[in-house]
Amino acid sequence: MGSVSIKAAIVGGQGMMASGLIPSGGNYKNVARKVMDHALAQASLSFDDLSGLVITGLGAAGAPFAGRQVSDISCQARGCHCLFPSARTIIDIGGQFTKVAKISPEGRIADFLMSEKCATGSGRFLQVIARILSVPLDEIGPLSLQSEKPVEFSTNCAVFAESETISRIAEGAKPADILAGVHRAMAAKVSMLVKRLKLTPDIVLTGGGGEDRGLAQAIGDALKAGILVPDFPRLTAAFGAACLAREEQTANSGGQNARPGNGSEAAL
Amino acid sequence: MPFAGMDIGSTMTKVAITDEQGKILSSHIGPTGAEHRHLALKVMDETVSKAGLSFGELDFIVATGYGRINVPFADRQITEITCHARGIRSLFPSARIIIDIGGQDSKGIKLDADGKVANFVMNDKCAAGTGRFLEVISETLGINLADMGDLALSANGFVQISNTCTVFAEHEVTSRLAEGAGVAEIVAGLHEAIASRVVNMTRHLGIEKDVVVTGGGAKNKGLVRAIAGKVGFPVLTPPEPFITGALGAALVGKDFYDRGIRPAKERKREDVKFFA
Repeated sequence: MGSVSIKAAIVGGQGMMASGLIPSGGNYKNVARKVMDHALAQASLSFDDLSGLVITGLGAAGAPFAGRQVSDISCQARGCHCLFPSARTIIDIGGQFTKVAKISPEGRIADFLMSEKCATGSGRFLQVIARILSVPLDEIGPLSLQSEKPVEFSTNCAVFAESETISRIAEGAKPADILAGVHRAMAAKVSMLVKRLKLTPDIVLTGGGGEDRGLAQAIGDALKAGILVPDFPRLTAAFGAACLAREEQTANSGGQNARPGNGSEAAL
Repeated sequence: MPFAGMDIGSTMTKVAITDEQGKILSSHIGPTGAEHRHLALKVMDETVSKAGLSFGELDFIVATGYGRINVPFADRQITEITCHARGIRSLFPSARIIIDIGGQDSKGIKLDADGKVANFVMNDKCAAGTGRFLEVISETLGINLADMGDLALSANGFVQISNTCTVFAEHEVTSRLAEGAGVAEIVAGLHEAIASRVVNMTRHLGIEKDVVVTGGGAKNKGLVRAIAGKVGFPVLTPPEPFITGALGAALVGKDFYDRGIRPAKERKREDVKFFA
């Protein structure tokens, strides 16, 4: 249950069965029910069929269901570990916050940093600039990748970059070059966070930022490292929560499927 | 003998002309546009005519501020740190700390007992702690920027704004409003936030009496009060805080002149080109 959207994932013994994602719009309880119903319908299940439920995210306390609450970063780590057992660093770029976590080979959090002081490292920066350029969020990445000459901003402050963007447009700068410039500025900020935790590959990029291929590439360039991106980067925490619920269930019943993380989940 | 100082800031261009005693003959303020050279000359022309002078009569012109290199007709380009110090020192000989809050940056300057710049700190990388912070949020609130200070003064206490970043603070303000917090108290909280940021930065210099607040921020009484609260004693403000940099530039020009330094060539208005 994130600040921007609520996601649900249902996993079975073979991995991901169904999922859903709806903007929270300030109404956590109703939207949570809706997302759950959507995922259940997709899996042809009823709520009572679920063997376990883990709830995570900023809005977890407002959930309309009873379930164990686990921190979003633990769920994120679990989800990334299941998808990419080689993952050691997770970069999660959401609408407001950017989080960087280092995880152990077992998928547990070893260290964690969060950027909440400055909008430059967060998705907010991109949203602000994309609004000025009238570029829909899902077109930012492809457009940025076309840039041949990324704009260099004189500061990395999102507020100053906003007014600089307006001047650059007046000077004839292309939207692709402006977006690529924003991606670079964000990547610089994010890579500072990553380096503070000591860069350890493999690196996974999740959250809304993971859906932006231009940003993924800029971060890869800034870190001089390859970046792994899940197929559905905004669902990894929900998926991780479901994995934790499944592990709990199998531990309780002493089942054979004691560890998730086999090939089937790569289909997520 | 007239001396002109021109301060090209991020938002405003300011010109002041003084006589050989350092007395202000005239001053004028205009917006800084994308094309400084053109606008700079316009503000200069206006100030010259207000003083009843002609451009050719100016004995020395000093340009300062971030756009100073774009003034081809200036005899010298001098940093705004030096010019602010010179201008404030002429108005307040007791000044030891200058806090300058501009539209896109803020500075702390420490003066030694002789009025020379001993040290300075500056923030031009982040909108927090600059005029821009208030400007952005005044737009969100739909309140005139010029009214923000008085609104803050009318508040009963203040709402703590916990975010430093302007973008996040903007969001925080809308949440506080939704929770029913008073607008005046929120605005007072924003002033507290700017004041802490600027004063904390200036603390690195060692704050001592007298403290002078200048720049556009000094026009805002709510901000001046908040700064005095953080500093722990009353602070001084110049009668015309916008022009202290330009005044200082004119005085620096006078200092050059007094040392026998003269402009390189005769000054003719028609020789001034926009794209030198």
